[in-house]
Amino acid sequence: MYLLKMAARNIRKNFRRSLFTILAMGLGFASICIFSGYIHNVYTGLSEQAVHGEGLGHLTLVKKGYFENSSLDAKKYLLTKDELARIGPILSADSGVTLWTPRLAVEGLISNGRNSMIFMGEGIVPEQEDILRAQYRPDRGGMLDPAKPTAIVVSSDLARLLGLKTGANTVVFTTTFDGEANALDADIGSIYNTGIAATNDKTILIPLAFTRRLLDTDGADRLRILLRNIEDTDEARTRLATKLSRIGIPIELRTWKQLSTFYVQVKDLFDMIFIFIFSIVAVIVVMSITNTMSMTVIERTREIGTLRALGMKRRQTVVLFSLEAMVLAAAGCAAGCAVTLAVCGVVSLLGITYVPPNTSDHVPLLVDFVFGWVVVVFFSLLLLAAGAAYIPSAGASRTRIVDALGHV
Amino acid sequence: MNDGFCGRKPLVAIRSVTKEYKLGETTVRALRGVDLEIHEGEFAAIWGPSGSGKTSLLNLIGLIDSPSSGRVVVAGRDTATVSDDALAEMRNRFVGFVFQTFNLISVLTALENVQLPLQIRGVTARKARSAAAELLEQVGLASLAGARPDQMSGGQRQRVAIARALVTSPAIVLADEPTANLDSETGQQIVDLMRELNRNRRVTFVFATHDPKLLDGVRRHICLADGTITEDQSSVREGLTYVPA
Repeated sequence: MYLLKMAARNIRKNFRRSLFTILAMGLGFASICIFSGYIHNVYTGLSEQAVHGEGLGHLTLVKKGYFENSSLDAKKYLLTKDELARIGPILSADSGVTLWTPRLAVEGLISNGRNSMIFMGEGIVPEQEDILRAQYRPDRGGMLDPAKPTAIVVSSDLARLLGLKTGANTVVFTTTFDGEANALDADIGSIYNTGIAATNDKTILIPLAFTRRLLDTDGADRLRILLRNIEDTDEARTRLATKLSRIGIPIELRTWKQLSTFYVQVKDLFDMIFIFIFSIVAVIVVMSITNTMSMTVIERTREIGTLRALGMKRRQTVVLFSLEAMVLAAAGCAAGCAVTLAVCGVVSLLGITYVPPNTSDHVPLLVDFVFGWVVVVFFSLLLLAAGAAYIPSAGASRTRIVDALGHV
Repeated sequence: MNDGFCGRKPLVAIRSVTKEYKLGETTVRALRGVDLEIHEGEFAAIWGPSGSGKTSLLNLIGLIDSPSSGRVVVAGRDTATVSDDALAEMRNRFVGFVFQTFNLISVLTALENVQLPLQIRGVTARKARSAAAELLEQVGLASLAGARPDQMSGGQRQRVAIARALVTSPAIVLADEPTANLDSETGQQIVDLMRELNRNRRVTFVFATHDPKLLDGVRRHICLADGTITEDQSSVREGLTYVPA
């Protein structure tokens, strides 16, 4: 405790020098926390976009080999009505599962009577879509009406290209799993924004029953599974795979992260940038503390000699200066924390929006205050500061006592 | 050698000690084969001109330096065989230092400075504070317990330093030119204080000085010249500070 008191008083004694070090630390701390708060917000948005916006759910159940081979033999990888009847109760009985819903992919042409364009469609159960979407970005639209079995939802760029408006009639062409051409009339129930530029000019959503008629099947190629908590995804995947292995159907489960390559790519990129920024800040912190502590140690060499003569051990003198560096770092982090909170609040109040890469509409610029990260950064900088103080103080502690006492 | 202590185990025994320093290309021989014993309860002065080796000898006794050759035995332990940590503990337990330039910690108050050696040892703050307050009272500075070193006069600072040296109840207190930075009157007061504490607390005091005026009333004079002891004599003029067994 007395070491801490000495450390704090010495910092106060050298107020101006301490202030500059604290400011450097504070800015470094704030820059890390603000950037990590921003990417946390981006990760959260991207995960919601993937799970609810794209409708990936938390887990996707398919026949084993579906992702690799279904484009060559889609029928082989269909989950039949009988298989769905055996899988469904297991999913429903699991306490972590809030929803499971069948899906059926369909591709073909959509026509306005004069022009046709390629579409990538998704057969979905309208009644369950509300739950899966979890009210994610209702402004984007795209909900099927359970009361209208032939109404489809068309992505906004595709609708614009074909001049389709809500309520218009259209024709959907495709081939069944047995290779026969099939076409059905449909109505434009609504137009929506997928949120992703790459899919907003080719996506349509179709009621599952309508899709089954188009493809002439009563099965589904995927089951989307929604969990109570996104954090439980990996655990639930293992648990459900174990339960489902007992019914003898060769299935596999993939998480939303495995299916959302965009999320993974963005996260990898931001993580790399974060490491880069953290490294720069770490270097600044280490240099700043080393510089401050080196000057302090030189100025207090005689004091070190006195303390050693009074019986202080070498490691205690190192602890004294490390504590001083840690107090400086703590003060810097506290200042940085205040700056971070202020920036979070101001950015939120300003209501700034921007269009991120690969998305089709504006998203708000927000910076989250991530308490866990703040704590991690706080202790990381504290340790860095202690390490930076170690070098000059360990050197000083090795000075012969008589030399230290005679230091001018 | 002082014969009055024959048969008793000395607190400090210096045997054939030399101390050499390198000053660039030159080797300075500060001590040249010194033999000395300090016994419990003594009040001794090491005196001699500047450069005679007084500080070097005190540094060896105080375990803050090691000899170039010879042995230094403190409290029965040959210091050459003791680790750095153990030496630090011995300094804390057996030795008290009073420096010429006071060497008080500038950010601590008088009371906190006196507490410091006990806190280095690991004594609780409350016990250390109580012991320090008592010592400050004995050196007549109870009213300045909360003052910082820069708020005190030289004499007051040296009194605080003496209190700090005594707070661990050391076997020996070493004072290197304790009056050099004080006026003669204050210097004499400091020596008187040390003698009084030697008498009342039976603490062994060894101080170095180049001022013969301060030797009045000091029982043992160890005279150094050119790194050798030229004279080591006891006087009984006043203040018997040591009663032979």
